[in-house]
Parts: sequence; structure tokens; C-alpha cells
Amino acid sequence: MRKLWKNRPMWITMTAIVLLIVLAAFTANGKGTGDSLFRTALAPVGEALHSVQQAVGAFFTRVFSPSELEAENARLRETLLVQQEKLALLDETEKENARLSELLNFVEANPQMRFVTASVIGRDSNPYIDTVMLNAGSRSGVTEKMAVITAEGVVGRVTEVGPNWCRVRTMLNDEMRISVMVQRTRDEGMLGGLYEKDGELLGAMLYYLPGEADVRVGDVIRTSGIGGSFPKGLYVGTVVAVNDEGKGTYDAIVSMDVDFLHLENALIVTGVDEAVR
Amino acid sequence: MKRRILLIPAALVAVFLDCFVFPQFTENGVRPLFVPAVALAAVASTKVQDGIPVAFFGGLLTDLFCNPYIGLSAAAYLLAVSVLYGFVRKNRPKLPLLFLFALVAFLAAETLIFVFTLIAGARFPIGTRLLRATLPSLILESLAVLPLAALFRTKEKGALTRR
Repeated sequence: MRKLWKNRPMWITMTAIVLLIVLAAFTANGKGTGDSLFRTALAPVGEALHSVQQAVGAFFTRVFSPSELEAENARLRETLLVQQEKLALLDETEKENARLSELLNFVEANPQMRFVTASVIGRDSNPYIDTVMLNAGSRSGVTEKMAVITAEGVVGRVTEVGPNWCRVRTMLNDEMRISVMVQRTRDEGMLGGLYEKDGELLGAMLYYLPGEADVRVGDVIRTSGIGGSFPKGLYVGTVVAVNDEGKGTYDAIVSMDVDFLHLENALIVTGVDEAVR
Repeated sequence: MKRRILLIPAALVAVFLDCFVFPQFTENGVRPLFVPAVALAAVASTKVQDGIPVAFFGGLLTDLFCNPYIGLSAAAYLLAVSVLYGFVRKNRPKLPLLFLFALVAFLAAETLIFVFTLIAGARFPIGTRLLRATLPSLILESLAVLPLAALFRTKEKGALTRR
């Protein structure tokens, strides 16, 4: 026993582990002041590193693409790389333009809503939590529980806010629940929880539809506005399967169009003009 | 000494990879983490005192940049370092053995993260995540420890010797 007590590094490490777990528990609800201060200070660094990652990613995509492997010699390959790097930059700019134009079209088509545009600056390394960090925070008017969307549909909900960043829990997170309606029949239900079959993600599960609801494959699902976070009428996805085996589990599977893995820009709904709504 | 200096850039690159590169290119949630791999490689090839700061600061940076719970990764990585140190504290193991030890250490760390996230209220399909994402990630991480351990290997006084 005395020998064990003499192992100072071990005790220091064990104490550090316990203290760190306490710190993690303290920051778990996102209310820690120190937590917010650190994240605020690091948000610009994170943004810069994210830009570096995108540049590196674009470079490797070019280098390892099959067409480049067929290059005839090193000099030509180098020249090709330079040219392709320029093309990649142009391509990237074009794609960004397209993305932003799409968002702009969405904003113009929804004058009753007020938005803040934000870029993704971080994703979780913890595989159990599907959240992303955006580069807009309380300074831009972002608060917790605000809806985050793209032109392709609902992305998720703001769960944590700093001055220049916010964390968004995406629809891929099993804890996400949003109130939705079937556009054709106006039946309301609850969407949340992922449905996987044979390892393939088919979509989110739709629950609590009225017993007589006539939901069909291809029906469009939109937010119902109940609950307050998500304004009414936002596109969520389309029904890809209906549960014919009776009630008890879920009513339908809804496929979402948002590419959560490659999400780069999003709109945070900061308010809705009630008169127009 | 020179080799040990490599640990600092290696840890920083690992944080960058873990937070900004791999989450982008993940396949079915398989995300090998390099910060703990660097920390374990340091423990296995230099001294445990070299692995602890890498695990602590690397874990904290990872948490600050990309995780909701500050300190959780650092705690998990420190636990992995402690477990591996328990295995290799007297002698430097051969590579296949090191792979197994690293796997056990990573399992301990993953269990800590897993239990904490469950207690914190996260809900996810446990079986699917464990089999499809976590286990392949752990195996990749353990494999990553081997070349890193060879890279950091030093013959300084106080360093581990081969069994």
C-alpha cells in the first residue's frame, strides 16, 4: 500500500482525470463562463484552421484523383497541378457562389423571416454527438433554441451560444425532436430519431400522426410551427416509407435532403415577422 | 531529446487532424483519433512523463476546438496513457504486444467517453455505433500508435528498453 502511495505521477494523473471529468460535467450544460470565454477566444483560430483544412482537402482531392495519376511525367504533372489548383480555387468559388445564391434565393423567398448567415467552423470529434459549430453568436443576435436551416431543409437547433460562435444539434442527433406536419393532409406529428436498415441510414422517424392520417410515400413534410423554435412551413424532407405494421413504433420514415456531412453554410432564423407569418 | 521534441508538432498536427480533417472525411462514423495515438506512442517509446502532457493539453485543445464537454477527451486520453503505462512501465514491448496494449488503453478511454456521454443524456443506437464506428476507430488508432512509437523512440537515460 505504501508503495502505491509513493507512485506520485500515478496519483497526479488520477487526480487530473477526476478533475477533468468534473470540469466536463460542469461544461456539459454549456453554461460554464470559463468554457464560453475559452471558446470565444479560440473561435477565430478554429475558423482559420477550418480554412486550412478546406485548402488541404481540396489539394488532396486533386492529387489523388485518377486523372492526375495518369499524367505523363513529373514536370507536366507539376504544371497540371498548378493549373488544377487554380481550377480547384475557381471551382470552389463557383460552388460557394452557388451555395450562397441558393441561400439568398431562400432568404428572398421568405421575407417574413430574419436570418443570420453562418459558416461551419467545427464538427464533433466525439462520434456520439452530432453537432456542428457555426461562426455566428450572440453578437449577431443568435440565441439558444433558434432554428438552423439551409435551402435544402431544416439542419437543427442552436444549443449553445458564445459571442462569435454557436453550437447546433443537427437532425442526425437522436435527441432532436421537431414538430412537423404532412403538407398534403395537414396532419401533425413529431419527427426525430434516426431509422437505419442494414446499416444504411434511411431517414428520420415520424411519430404521433392521428390514427386516421393518410400519409403516403412522396408526401412532403414541413415544420408545423408548434413549439416555437421552428417557424411554420419550413421544408424538412419527404416520406420514403410508411409503417404498415400498425401503430406502436413509428408512422413513417422521412428522408432529409440536407447533406449534413458536407454542410458548409447555413441560415440561423433569428426571428419571424408575425404580421406576415 | 531531438526525437522527444517531435512530440509537440506531432500533438498539434494530431489536434488539427482530429478536429478539422477526419470529421470531414469520416466513413460510417469511423474516426481514428491521433492525439491519444501520439500520447500512447510517447509513453511506449520515451517516458510516461512525455505522454501525460500530450494527452492533457492535446485533449483539452481538442475539447476546446470541437467538443461540447471541455475536459472529457483530456481525461479519457490521460486514462489511456495510465492504462498503457501500467502495461509497459518496465519494458518496451514488441509491436504486436504494443498494438494489443494500445487497444486495451483506447478501450478504457472510449468506455469513459461512452459512459459520460450516456450519463450526460446523449441517446444513440448503441450497438450500431459500437460495432460500426467505435471498434474500427479503436483498431485504426492502435495501429497508428506503432509507427508513431517507432518515430519517437529514444535511447535516453530513463527511457524504456526493449523486453
